[in-house]
Amino acid sequence: MSLIDTSANCNRWRRRSLAEKALLALGMLAIAVGVPSWQGAVLVAIVMSGATLVGARVSPALWWKTMTAPLGFLLIGVITLALQFDGMHVSLAPNGLPLAGRLAARAVAGVTCLLFLALTTPATDLIGGLRRIGVPAEIAELALLIYRFLFLLTDTAAAMHAAQAARLGQITYRRHMRSLGLLIANLMPRAFSRAKALETGLAARGWKGELRVLSPVRRASVTAIATIIAVELLIVLIGLRTS
Amino acid sequence: MKLLEACALTHTYPGSVHALDGLNLSIERGQRLAILGANGSGKTTLLLHLNGTLRPQSGQVLLEGRPGGYDSASLIAWRRRVGLVLQNADDQLFAASVAEDVSFGPLNLGLDEAQTRARVDSALRALHVHELAERPTHMLSSGQKKRVAIAGLVAMQPEILLLDEPTAGLDHQGTEDLLAVLAELEASNTTLVFSTHDVELAYRFADQIALFSDGRTLAQGSTVQVLSDRELLRAAGLEAPLLLKLGLRARELGILAAHEPLPRSAAEALTLLKVTV
Repeated sequence: MSLIDTSANCNRWRRRSLAEKALLALGMLAIAVGVPSWQGAVLVAIVMSGATLVGARVSPALWWKTMTAPLGFLLIGVITLALQFDGMHVSLAPNGLPLAGRLAARAVAGVTCLLFLALTTPATDLIGGLRRIGVPAEIAELALLIYRFLFLLTDTAAAMHAAQAARLGQITYRRHMRSLGLLIANLMPRAFSRAKALETGLAARGWKGELRVLSPVRRASVTAIATIIAVELLIVLIGLRTS
Repeated sequence: MKLLEACALTHTYPGSVHALDGLNLSIERGQRLAILGANGSGKTTLLLHLNGTLRPQSGQVLLEGRPGGYDSASLIAWRRRVGLVLQNADDQLFAASVAEDVSFGPLNLGLDEAQTRARVDSALRALHVHELAERPTHMLSSGQKKRVAIAGLVAMQPEILLLDEPTAGLDHQGTEDLLAVLAELEASNTTLVFSTHDVELAYRFADQIALFSDGRTLAQGSTVQVLSDRELLRAAGLEAPLLLKLGLRARELGILAAHEPLPRSAAEALTLLKVTV
């Protein structure tokens, strides 16, 4: 979680406009899912991995680490597609391998698109984008506060966990469960007192019930948008040709 | 003219002793006032009264001689003039990036986008955190968080800045940096009031001290005057700062002439030693 957040805030494309990144990621995602031939999906996966690793210079180790979880799920799904179970016999399903391969190509392509967005775009920009496309202020503010307090709460929980471990709170399974219960029970009142303190802090700055802040302006570059559209059209054409 | 005044404030939290017990305090323009007291002496409770967050159970808070109102319009006018920085910066920073967080106050004052941008920019520069403008608030060190939290109030350009234990939890360099920017802020006509239990800090940084114990002001006066009174300090559960003891002893021994200033920093105390040897 916090590694993804660090990458989103520290990559080379951090300051590029949300419009460019969203057009690239969501456009490519639509192509990966929608274009009839699987070759299109393979191209999408190549382009999006390139954009993440070469363009935005996201660390390959981190990229691979975040890829493994969805790939694991995918592997299980693909195996069940490729094989058929007949009582005690397991055999290759007719047409199973090509089918599994095509599905895998599309799914991997889709994952690279979403990971690109997650690893290059700070949550703040995404929430700002939600506001701009007309999501109600209450929902956007809630998302912002959840994002902000997620880190405070995990820090507090980690500190409490370490304090319990220092007093051998996790020495047996029974103790472990008991300590975990205490930890969760203690996080609750802490979260409440945090919320109250935050309210005092906001009131001191003239809060009137709305969390209005000024977001930095990032203009989308016309060349970047044109390039993205051109690449996407090209992949669509190749995809249609090869089908 | 007194800028801000607390008259006979009392406040009792449910199920506890008096947090404030008939407390009096006055703040004059341009003063650098330390509210000095042991833990639990009512410092934070007082600061929360001084910006209208808490309403006194009896007594009143006066803004330039007029009692502050507790309806929302009066509170907004009050907080525009009196800024409060909480002890824990994490309680104050809510937005995801530094510049966004600092823009919150000016926008609430009803400033337009251009004015807000200018205020944010100058506040970040004043607190020397300008290069962090786009950093997410959870990726800052404690010292940086503290300065960003202060910038959030400085951007509202209050006449008085109240700081609750501003150096708590900061390391040596963090404290030095913070005191340096606070001194710069004062030069731009902001009256500084800070609470602390640290006598060394109060001696070094304040020119007036209000000494607190059990929700009451034991004394308010010039720094040297209050901190030289051993009986008073003992009553408040504190001890005179080492540098002051050193300076006073030097005067007794005739090393430091009575008209010469007492040492306020380690460097000044060391020079004193050099003269004697």
